[in-house]
Amino acid sequence: MTKSLKNKNLYRTLIIASFIALNIGILFGISQVLLYLNTGADRSSILHLSVQNEEVYLPKVIWQDTTNPGRPITRHTLEMIQSDYLKAWYVRNVAYMSNDPYGIDDFYTESARENIYKTIASHVSANIQVSATTLCHHLSLDFYSEDGQLAVFTDVNTKQYQRVYKDNVLELEHQIEASYKVVVLLEDGFWKVRHMVKELNPVIKDTISPYETPLITVKQNKIYIGENLFKMKGINYYPQQTPWDMFGDAFDIDIISEDFTIIKEAGLNTIRVFVQYEDFGKAKVKSEKIEKLQQVLDLAEVRGLKVIVTLFDFYGNYDVLDWTMTHRHAEQIVSYFKEHRAILAWDIKNEPNLDFENRGKITVLAWLREMIIQIKQYDPNHLVTIGWSDIESALLLEDQIDLVSFHYYQGLESFEEKYGSLITKTNKPIILQEFGLSSNQGLWNPFGASEESQAIYYENFQQILKKNDVHYLTWTLYDFENVPTEVSGSMPWQKDKQKYFGFIGINGNRKKAFKFISE
Amino acid sequence: MIGIGFSIFSRATVDIPITLQTKQTIFKAGDNIVLRFTTNEQAVRLYCHSSYGVSILDANKDGKDVIFTIPDHFTSKKGVLNYKLVHTTKVVFEGVITIVANSETTTQLETYIGPPDITAGGKNHTMMVVIPTDSYDNPVEDSTSIKMKHQFLDTEKETIQFSKDFIGWERIFSFERSGRILASNEVNGTASKEFAIEVFSANAVDFEINYQRKHGYADGNQITTFTTSVIKDMYENIISDGTLVTFFVRNAKGMILKTNGTTVNGIAKGKLLHPDHMDQWEVKAYITGIAESTTLSLIYEQSTADFDVNFQNKNRRIRVGPLQSFMGQRMPDGAVITCLIYREGKYLETKTKTSSNGFVDFIVDEGFYPAGSYNFKIEGLGIHKEFKDVVL
Repeated sequence: MTKSLKNKNLYRTLIIASFIALNIGILFGISQVLLYLNTGADRSSILHLSVQNEEVYLPKVIWQDTTNPGRPITRHTLEMIQSDYLKAWYVRNVAYMSNDPYGIDDFYTESARENIYKTIASHVSANIQVSATTLCHHLSLDFYSEDGQLAVFTDVNTKQYQRVYKDNVLELEHQIEASYKVVVLLEDGFWKVRHMVKELNPVIKDTISPYETPLITVKQNKIYIGENLFKMKGINYYPQQTPWDMFGDAFDIDIISEDFTIIKEAGLNTIRVFVQYEDFGKAKVKSEKIEKLQQVLDLAEVRGLKVIVTLFDFYGNYDVLDWTMTHRHAEQIVSYFKEHRAILAWDIKNEPNLDFENRGKITVLAWLREMIIQIKQYDPNHLVTIGWSDIESALLLEDQIDLVSFHYYQGLESFEEKYGSLITKTNKPIILQEFGLSSNQGLWNPFGASEESQAIYYENFQQILKKNDVHYLTWTLYDFENVPTEVSGSMPWQKDKQKYFGFIGINGNRKKAFKFISE
Repeated sequence: MIGIGFSIFSRATVDIPITLQTKQTIFKAGDNIVLRFTTNEQAVRLYCHSSYGVSILDANKDGKDVIFTIPDHFTSKKGVLNYKLVHTTKVVFEGVITIVANSETTTQLETYIGPPDITAGGKNHTMMVVIPTDSYDNPVEDSTSIKMKHQFLDTEKETIQFSKDFIGWERIFSFERSGRILASNEVNGTASKEFAIEVFSANAVDFEINYQRKHGYADGNQITTFTTSVIKDMYENIISDGTLVTFFVRNAKGMILKTNGTTVNGIAKGKLLHPDHMDQWEVKAYITGIAESTTLSLIYEQSTADFDVNFQNKNRRIRVGPLQSFMGQRMPDGAVITCLIYREGKYLETKTKTSSNGFVDFIVDEGFYPAGSYNFKIEGLGIHKEFKDVVL
């Protein structure tokens, strides 16, 4: 009796369950059919709005000359031609990278695009891929027709960076300069390339005149500010309430001012601050961010502190097609502050060697190499460095930077030996750009350092630094209540560690280590 | 290093002995281009960079030499082609060759003319731009001679331009007469097709107007037609068909009536209905912002001397008529008569009706107008009549 009841219930459940499952199946089927019928080109795509409006490619463009025998050109038309010409380069770069002619139709006329198609076809059959970008264009208008439908211009000494892969193996990485004469036609609202002919590069004289006496110089392994020898004693700085968000909404120059007084009175002379790539507005740097940075730098100058500005914090793309966007970012910040007397050096990126694994060493180094050139081009006054995360990476790109910077979180005992060995390999000044110990003994880390052992660590480290006359920056002024997950990782023991590197506790009291903040 | 001089066309860069055997550095588009190197190191590839892109080529071995055949899509395009011999990602040799347009092939012409229409008078011009190419679609070398031709009425002009920046171009100015300019060009024996440029007349100059009407009576029925003289520009060209002419009429009360027409063969016509009462019109036509006409004065005579008004049906039906026109004939249907109703000096309503068979009937309804004493004003065809204290 009970058994048949059980069976009955079982059958009932099965029937209801299969009924529900069937219904779900039917609904899913209908939704898939509707979805399929709704796919296809969006009607707005006829207008090519997506291609037209996106700003994805911003190499430096200089119009050298726009007088021409045809007719005077308006600035607006010139901008349209320039914009579409750059997009022609962009879609071509994308096409050669992916071997897919997407977007070529919009920026090359029917006859011209054949050349791109043939190249793509040959790349596909030979398994070739090209990652490329142009870095600058020097344009001069040769002709603009009476009806405004045809223009001829020259693009001389275009700098191009290329990585050529064959069978997915890097075959060649190089920079070249090339010059072109280009005919463009206005078709369907696009200035499309009709003819493009590579020509011999004319010899042009360098338009950037280097400063006769830069503000900061390096002679042998010494740093000079003007005539004066400079010994760096510094600290990495974030305000206590806004770590990794110094220039955000909670920016308060009064708090920073008080902190600078603490730093100066502690006997330090340098701070290192961080400029976040996205926070500052990527390729279009926001003026309010520049103003905030200006306030900080002005204040540092008043307090007699030098500043190392670390750029591109939280940036991680490095893709060749993103280069020009980052160049514009750097240009706007660096050229704005090129005369600023508080700045000691531009630190291009914090710990870029940590991205080698995910982004590829070649990709990251190529980006850095070009970025050094870009920054020096816009600011010959200040030094350039890269904050490598460990002493083993310190000599990467050593020939191109002014200061060798590394971070050291390894054992105190091996520092002297490693540092001694590093000194012999370079004749440039070496900066110990970050070091410190977290006093995070507690629930998540019962065997971590206490405040006492942190103090002892700094006491010993300062002796070593003094003995070896090392330029240093400690990490960091404050303990932080909140640390962003992007910085530390999401696990509580990871976060906890990042919170207690400071010389001043969360409650505002100076920790025992504060005595040893400076030698 | 390419920019240093034309004489340095190739050089070895790394210590691997390499000799370039191919001495030719200038090729015609479409030529077979093979680069031959003598080297012990055979594991090399050739990178080349040309107008539209790059490639990396595998070597073919030929005894002690390695040879590279530049692919067609590079050899057929005019321009500078840089190449680099690459060995394990290092450049071991680099050089440059130049590919020039192939003048032996048939020249192709691509001609652009714009703007496609201009105005007469010799100030306005259009431009003919031609891009001559070889049959591989490469712009021909600079200083290629281009014959530019155009014809207008009895004039035929031919000039020689030399191509520069890939193009040849010429300004074509209009003549004093309107009409059609035909243009063409010719390069290396290839002739373009015929291109037409419309030369429209220039701006109109001031003109005269006239009128036609069936009679001079203000009958509110016939139509007066205003006609312009043949409107021309300062070069005696008839202005373009379709030019809008607006006729402004100012009547005796200073009110403005307006009509317009577009020109055909320089003449525009505008039409207006006769007024229904005696009036005087001052007429002037304009092509807005460009030209204006002389002023015309017209008088319309009264067509109806008087009409009767009869109160019927206990004064609740007001019959106006018979309405008679200038010869005593019955007024054509459609004459407008209005009836204004007042009671004890207070205005109540205006009734408007058009005539039918020479009569207009106004019904003063009992439901709306209770019994009492009313005043009526009957107006129309320039006649006013007033009836006081009519008892309904």
